[in-house]
Amino acid sequence: MVLALWGFGSIESARAQDAALAAPTGLKAVDHPNDVGTSVDLTWTLSVDDNARAQPRVVNGYEIYRSLVDGDEREMVGEVPYGVEKFTDQQCTAGVPYLFEIISVGTGEQRSEPARLAKPITPIRQWIDRSRAWFGVIVVLVCGAVILFTRLARFGKATYVREIAGLQAIDEAVGRATEMGRPCLFVPGLQDMNEIPTVAGINILARVARTVAEYDATLTVPTARSLVMTSARETVQASCLAAGRPEVYDENLVYYVSDEQFAYVAHLTGYMVRERPAACFYAGTFYAESLILAETGNSVGALQIAGTAEASQLPFFVAACDYTLIGEELFAASAYLSREPQQLGSLKGQDAGKLLAGALLIVGCALATWAALAGNGSPAESMLVFLKDTILGRGGAG
Amino acid sequence: MKSTIPWLIAAATGFVMIAAYFIPAAQGWQGEVGTWFEILAAFAFVLGGANLFAYHLGKISARRAGWGYSGVTLVAFLVTLAAGMLKLGVPAPDRYPTNAWAGDFQFEGSVSWWLYWYLYNPLNATMFALLAFYVSSAAFRAFRAKNTEATVLLVTAFIVLLGRTYAGAWLTSSVPENYSALTFPGMTAIILAVGNTAGQRAIMIGIALGVAATSLKVLLGVDRSYLGSDGD
Amino acid sequence: MNRETLGWTVVLLIGALGLFGRAMSKPEGMGKVYIKAVRIAPDSPTDTRTTFTKVEPKDSEAIVSVPRTVGVWIAALGTLAIFSFLYRDNVFYKLAESVFVGVTAAWAMVLGFWESIVDKLLRNLAPGLMRAWALPGLSDKQEPNYLYIVPLILGIMLLWRLVPRGAWIARWPLAVVVGTFAGLKLVNFLDADFVSQIRNTIIPLIVVVNGKVDPWASLRNTGLLVGVLSSLTYFFFSVEHKGFVGNVSRVGVWFLMVTFGASFAFTVMGRIALLAARVEFLFNDWLWLIDPGDKRPKGW
Repeated sequence: MVLALWGFGSIESARAQDAALAAPTGLKAVDHPNDVGTSVDLTWTLSVDDNARAQPRVVNGYEIYRSLVDGDEREMVGEVPYGVEKFTDQQCTAGVPYLFEIISVGTGEQRSEPARLAKPITPIRQWIDRSRAWFGVIVVLVCGAVILFTRLARFGKATYVREIAGLQAIDEAVGRATEMGRPCLFVPGLQDMNEIPTVAGINILARVARTVAEYDATLTVPTARSLVMTSARETVQASCLAAGRPEVYDENLVYYVSDEQFAYVAHLTGYMVRERPAACFYAGTFYAESLILAETGNSVGALQIAGTAEASQLPFFVAACDYTLIGEELFAASAYLSREPQQLGSLKGQDAGKLLAGALLIVGCALATWAALAGNGSPAESMLVFLKDTILGRGGAG
Repeated sequence: MKSTIPWLIAAATGFVMIAAYFIPAAQGWQGEVGTWFEILAAFAFVLGGANLFAYHLGKISARRAGWGYSGVTLVAFLVTLAAGMLKLGVPAPDRYPTNAWAGDFQFEGSVSWWLYWYLYNPLNATMFALLAFYVSSAAFRAFRAKNTEATVLLVTAFIVLLGRTYAGAWLTSSVPENYSALTFPGMTAIILAVGNTAGQRAIMIGIALGVAATSLKVLLGVDRSYLGSDGD
Repeated sequence: MNRETLGWTVVLLIGALGLFGRAMSKPEGMGKVYIKAVRIAPDSPTDTRTTFTKVEPKDSEAIVSVPRTVGVWIAALGTLAIFSFLYRDNVFYKLAESVFVGVTAAWAMVLGFWESIVDKLLRNLAPGLMRAWALPGLSDKQEPNYLYIVPLILGIMLLWRLVPRGAWIARWPLAVVVGTFAGLKLVNFLDADFVSQIRNTIIPLIVVVNGKVDPWASLRNTGLLVGVLSSLTYFFFSVEHKGFVGNVSRVGVWFLMVTFGASFAFTVMGRIALLAARVEFLFNDWLWLIDPGDKRPKGW
């Protein structure tokens, strides 16, 4: 009996030794695409002991080690929990070949034999991000259209531009201010010169300031940013010069108030109520204070022309101002007002961009509808995936 | 010439940033450029502050209307500037008890903290709160809808307002389940999913094209008004 | 003085008397702020410095803070002064506006100095100096990053504008800013607002669920596509909006009006909440007429 028990015990320990942790298999490494050569992507097949339903769990995770080809030392570069079959090492050096190995980790100190890479992998620096290649094509198409029509406009016939009521009313607004002997107010928005709507606002300021100089009216431009004040002064001075009235430029009328949104608007509303401008122009980025501005302008009887790219503020401008430039119209305004062929040509380029958008939408929706009707695995579905993930996404090499 | 060289500088930096978007090694430049801009904006504050000073001092010395308030502005400005720059009332932090300049200028109890909590913040929040009153007057104006577009705006606002509140759900609670799209919450959901989404997307697509065109005009030198004129 | 000024003076006097009466009617007064002393470094055996922090009146170590109480009263009066603009422009609003503009303008400069000039520029150009002065926590291993000379030079060029004949030099940093961000925003907007919005709008016009066509989802998707295309048509500049294009553009304008109406409704709800917050400040922290947070002893 004792002999049998002893035999039984030794069979048990033999079985325990035989039941070593299974290593993961199929370790593969590829250079991480579209990077500066500091990353390598590893994938493997889970260890056969890594069973999601096993209780208690046999495999708790994996450890990943890296070594140089001609070195003996290996260092641990990462660990992942069970069920995960990929890892990216982001601490490599470009051009240096590495060897990787991966080990299953069980409870206690149980570790499997390592699964090793057959050949070393060398992370390479890519100079171009190929995942953005199709996006680059779209950028070239859109910008190319703008540039092409801008150039063509110099030689071809005059470009038709539809009426934009708010811009046609500028002359009327300034004329009204001159007759009433009241000033005009121009608000270039809240943001700084690093935002394109502000640049668009300054471009509109150039046109408005020129009209004001020609009519011999007064234009006040309080700003919320010091850089905008600097640029606005240059702009208004140049406009007075272009109108042939350099002597009407008064730099004290273009001044800095405060960076804080509501302090700026507190000053503006105070100004409006005291000086009672006859024409108010708002062009740039506006936030919550847009309503206060527009309502106060209404209360003093000013003619208000507003334009912003902030979709959330457009309802208030639409409700409270006489004319509103919606979104893209703000960017079209300076071209429209200048009447220069090159500028008008750029508007045609913008329209070409919208045609591209419409075409992509129609083709895409047609493919999506066809794929929905044809079911999984149809050619329509693969074309749709290509369109959405590669052309319009980061697919392909990404 | 005085606006040609700056234009060329703008063009060079702009095209470099466009190219950087496609080059992995340069994709981190966007963050660096943001930091550099913050530094430049901080320098620009000197211009703004100098201008503010000159503007209000000019008003005071010429005794123009409201010159007393200009005095108040300057005093408030100087007190806040001194309190923040000199870190008045800011003790040295616990980790560096001998270094008084290392403290946060907004430390609770400091002069700057007091200015922020009892002047800046309350006045700011109150200006923000004025919007509640202005929204009502704007709504009254919109109620006098003169054309189809304004009516559409108005009706939509009305439905969405009711649909997002308890009142709307209660008003149409007797509508059967099959016709849930006709309840206020139901109509709101459709308006948001179809009408609002369509409009928002079209506006965003248009703005993207507008930004691209304006940027290109800046980079190609077609629009140089922000730089001023050539001759001065 | 004329009748209107007399009337307003009487109203304000009654208001002031009312406040005075309210403050005097209870032994605990109103609008006070309580503080207690706390150690700056509670775990340090050598640093015994203390500072003050706000506590509720119920705290056993609470004492009245005069500067903070004065602050609450000034904040409350400032709040009323701003609200008074709703009636019309007046001396109180002008005072509040002047103070507001002065404080905020200086605040932005102070913030710009400590967080940009010191913490970003000087930290990179002169880490040793900063470690000794305002940034003692800077790592010893931090080396100067001389690339930051570029924003320094651009900043100095900007300041040249203050010199009488130096205005044109300031155009260079302006050009760098506008040019850099023009390039950056061009690709960012085309990626996030152009390509992404198109991708999100590619949807099937006939929705099939479990082998059956879902008419309502199909109608919704078709409506969405029609809405986007017609709204885009509204933004066409180089085509005259008449005939077919004109009609489609009209439909687009209606979709835009729906968008604006929804925005309007969302914003209205948010603004009412802001007003409620200010009213709560006046009635809770200043007049001590309500105590929703149960911060003061009963009966106060």
